Amino acid sequence: MKVHVDPERCQGHTLCAMIAPEVFELDDIDGHSSPVGENVPAEQEAQVMQAVRSCPEQAISITEGPA
Amino acid sequence: MSDEASGADRRKSRYQFDRHTPDYRHHFEAITAEMLAQCPLAWSDTYGGHWVAAGHREVFELARSAEYLSNDHDVHHERRGYQGITIPTPESMKFQAGFLEMDPPEQRQYRQALNPYLSPAAVARWAPVVTELIRACLDEKIETGQIDFVDDLANVVPAILTLAMMGIPLAHWTIYCEPTHAAVYTPPDSPDMLRLRDRQIEMYRDMFAQLAAIKEQPRPGLIDALARADINGRTPQDMELLGVMALIIGGGFDTTTALTAHALEWLGEHPDQRERLSRERASLLDSATEEFLRFYTPAPGDGRTISADCEIAGQRFQEGERLWLSWAMSNRDPAVFENPNQIDLARTGNRHHSFGLGIHRCIGSNVARMVFKQMITAVLDRMPDYRCDPAGTVHYETIGVIQGMRHLPAAFTPGPRLGAGLDETIQAIQRACDEQRLAEPVTVRKAGAEIGH
Repeated sequence: MKVHVDPERCQGHTLCAMIAPEVFELDDIDGHSSPVGENVPAEQEAQVMQAVRSCPEQAISITEGPA
Repeated sequence: MSDEASGADRRKSRYQFDRHTPDYRHHFEAITAEMLAQCPLAWSDTYGGHWVAAGHREVFELARSAEYLSNDHDVHHERRGYQGITIPTPESMKFQAGFLEMDPPEQRQYRQALNPYLSPAAVARWAPVVTELIRACLDEKIETGQIDFVDDLANVVPAILTLAMMGIPLAHWTIYCEPTHAAVYTPPDSPDMLRLRDRQIEMYRDMFAQLAAIKEQPRPGLIDALARADINGRTPQDMELLGVMALIIGGGFDTTTALTAHALEWLGEHPDQRERLSRERASLLDSATEEFLRFYTPAPGDGRTISADCEIAGQRFQEGERLWLSWAMSNRDPAVFENPNQIDLARTGNRHHSFGLGIHRCIGSNVARMVFKQMITAVLDRMPDYRCDPAGTVHYETIGVIQGMRHLPAAFTPGPRLGAGLDETIQAIQRACDEQRLAEPVTVRKAGAEIGH
């Protein structure tokens, strides 16, 4: 699974980093999110799916594929 | 007038919507369910006529359409005369509510100036200050077995922290606290209004004095960032900056108070859930916080003005029309939230709108969450058996501006004090602010606060 955060849509709500702190990191200055790495470790996939569902701006997308 | 000109052909979905009546508060769930089912986007004739977005999808699409929506409050009639984010526009509002009543690029530049003080990393540095403030508030009451969670805790902590972040002397907190809350819950025709006006004037005088002093002799904080801000190549005038300061105070005080009071009231009514939250806080506190935010939506909505003819969420809008985005009603949409009128502390996929959406998303959300979580856990730890007194509990009469509470008295098994009282603690925190320059932006100071005893 690959994960992408659309920087134009993200407004820094921070829910993704609350749900999957090992996958998303928040900018020190404005709190906007970006993935730590493009590929999601298998054991983090469920949390990433939950982050996608929880994002108020619907800024997170995933594409299926080998990690 | 033709149907097209009057808008009658577009305004087919209608609802008589008045969020400023006590009736709206008392029948919130029924009105919300009716609007969500029948007219998630409706025209209301109230307050000069305006659209009301209640549906989650409709609010989501509209709030994120910044190119067709304006927040502008054109106080001096220099642009298109738009009325800002309040419906109706209060008679007493003589200036913009800061950048919440501006559009980009100015709005974006203000936020960029303040973000380094309010990002998650910036806010985390204040955690020890908040812990100590809460400890002192609870110590003031812990031996008596009686507390008013609004007056003695939830009003106090957000106010003092906000002043600390702004760079205002903490001892001034009593100048700011009462009038800020009272301004929200006092009806314009109240006999208390004259007294409140005097207190507000006193507060604005102090704000102006702080701004002038910081311009003269800089000290770190949000006011310093504003005083030095370059907004579209100009230094903003004092009246504009006072509007921004008022926005920070209004956003920082009453909202977190409202959320905390409601959560404590609900937990008091559901002792099994209170014990569960306390026991499982490591896994439950985040989701519970989002659920209280969703359910109680302290700031229930925002007004906008349509800035260009457009079609959004299947509805045609005309330039100049007013629109109310109801965060509170969209947070109860069964299309997104299963059992929307029930609190589920473990709810997942909680895409609530309580901090707004899009470019105007609440800039203080990280502060609100941190302060809320600390206040709740401290009460769970030190007053675990508290029982609220329904007879003394006072909710705001209306929920058109803030869904808040004036009083939430409670009784609990007394316990021992842990440290100094509130006044002494405020002095210690002031020393830490001054010596460690705690209110610097995260770009200047990364380390967390250290509070001596």
